[in-house]
Amino acid sequence: MPTILTTIPVSDGQPSRTALEALTRARQLATEHGWTCAAVALAPDASVVSDTLGRYGAQTVYAVSDATFAEPLNAPVVDALETVIREAGPEIVVFPSSEGVKDALGALAERLNAPALPDVASFSMSDSTVEAVRPVMAAKFRARVQAETSSDSPVLVSVRAGSYAAEESPVTPEVIDVALATDASSLRQTLRDVVRSAGGAVDLSEAQVVVAAGRGVRDEAGKALVEELADVTGAAIGASRAVVELGLFPATAQIGQTGKVVAPDLYFAVGISGAIQHVAGMTGSRTIVAINKDADAPIFDVATYGIVGDLHQVLPPLIEAIRDAKA
Amino acid sequence: MRFSVCINQVPDVSAPSQVRDGQLILDAGRVVLDAYAASAVEAALVLQEAHGGDVEVVLIGAQKASETIRKALAMGADSGVHLLVSEDAALDSRSVTALLADHYRASSPDVILAGKQSQDTDAGLVGGMLAEALGRPYVTNAVGLVQEGDGLVVTRQGDKGQEIIGLPTPCVVTCSNDMNDPRIPKLKNIMASKKKPVETREVSPSAPSLRTVAYEMPPAREPGQTVPGEPAEAAHELVRLLQDEARAL
Repeated sequence: MPTILTTIPVSDGQPSRTALEALTRARQLATEHGWTCAAVALAPDASVVSDTLGRYGAQTVYAVSDATFAEPLNAPVVDALETVIREAGPEIVVFPSSEGVKDALGALAERLNAPALPDVASFSMSDSTVEAVRPVMAAKFRARVQAETSSDSPVLVSVRAGSYAAEESPVTPEVIDVALATDASSLRQTLRDVVRSAGGAVDLSEAQVVVAAGRGVRDEAGKALVEELADVTGAAIGASRAVVELGLFPATAQIGQTGKVVAPDLYFAVGISGAIQHVAGMTGSRTIVAINKDADAPIFDVATYGIVGDLHQVLPPLIEAIRDAKA
Repeated sequence: MRFSVCINQVPDVSAPSQVRDGQLILDAGRVVLDAYAASAVEAALVLQEAHGGDVEVVLIGAQKASETIRKALAMGADSGVHLLVSEDAALDSRSVTALLADHYRASSPDVILAGKQSQDTDAGLVGGMLAEALGRPYVTNAVGLVQEGDGLVVTRQGDKGQEIIGLPTPCVVTCSNDMNDPRIPKLKNIMASKKKPVETREVSPSAPSLRTVAYEMPPAREPGQTVPGEPAEAAHELVRLLQDEARAL
């Protein structure tokens, strides 16, 4: 039976939400076409996620357990995925489009001689054709792009965060342990350090609500208001490139063409003008609230609700009103 | 060290453009040096200024893309290579990689730099593909680059924070535009760039592995509404709308 294989990055013993979104899409296609839905997990102990992956419909879980996966280096990831793909022989390999995946996808495609459809907003398949919709030109347009599966190599597809909703569809997975062939001492790269960002309490790519700060938030007082709004709404904090450059927010908070892509239920754009490079990273959000003192700011073109006003005047009563509404 | 930077010419994403009958209609006059590639050129020049060495730029493109090579030479690169393709050449990440790999197998620079993705397609595949094709270690999405002895120390923006990675040469690094602000060439450097050597070679790309069926507009968002009133009033009305209408709170 043909197989669709989803790659599951694991962090802190959990698959990311975006990985479960990608797995859900793979499972839907597998069900529709009578294919096998398989997953591959890379982690120091990959077996810990097999139950979760079964809950989301993975019939087979390839578990590659190795201590090297605690460190974000690309070479062991490419080696492990090559091994599993050669063993499982999938027609399609699906990835969540994280920075870790972006780091490995090109090399893997080259090694397998496989066509790759990176960072897609949706994809489907018919017979031997995989068709994907990719945002291009800073998400001003979408390209409908096709690749053919073949007996020699799978088609690789990475899926943007928030493109599909994660849905459970429980099965009891068969777990296959696969050994990593890479010898850690042969690695030519060495990880010196990981400087973790002191971000907010909620992970940006996992959040249902995002409060994002732009150039209008230019000082600590504005930042404190953004943090308070995030606190009362249970939101993760995001930022435009401009305020990351000012040093007010960490680079891991950056949303846009060069940062993270988010698609939460509710997105507050606070003091964000709405340059296309920023909008490219958040336009999939369900409800968008824009607060900006410039009535002509382009962010109002994509906002569901807009308030024209200074954030220092608007946020305090808004925080109060949300607190009252939740009480 | 010998640096080579892969550069590319892209349509200016802020220029007017539209989709008609599934085709992308761009203003042919509005083309620029890709912003990520410009950061890669800047990164090479900064290391050259500090430690010496040589900076080459390599571009795949039609005849008119040679102006983008001149731009990089005006920034300070020493020489250019133009891998010339026809105006209507259909390129994708694999065919670009194959052409670059052919060039680098012969010239074998110590460090190959490129943008982390191209501004028009945002695919981000070529850096990793090229490294694999050449059997070189690589790091993508660099936001910092330091030369240390015969190797590099690269800071990359990862999912959870910044990853600091030691990389021997020969290697490949792809650069984020968050790494630096590319310099604006001064007039005298623009004049001097005209005397710098550019080698032009005609090449034939392999058939692309992907087929673009059509371009389309992204799904339109429902028109929004402005919530009027003084801040306190507007805030209360917004909360009501978020609860009753959008059901988002």
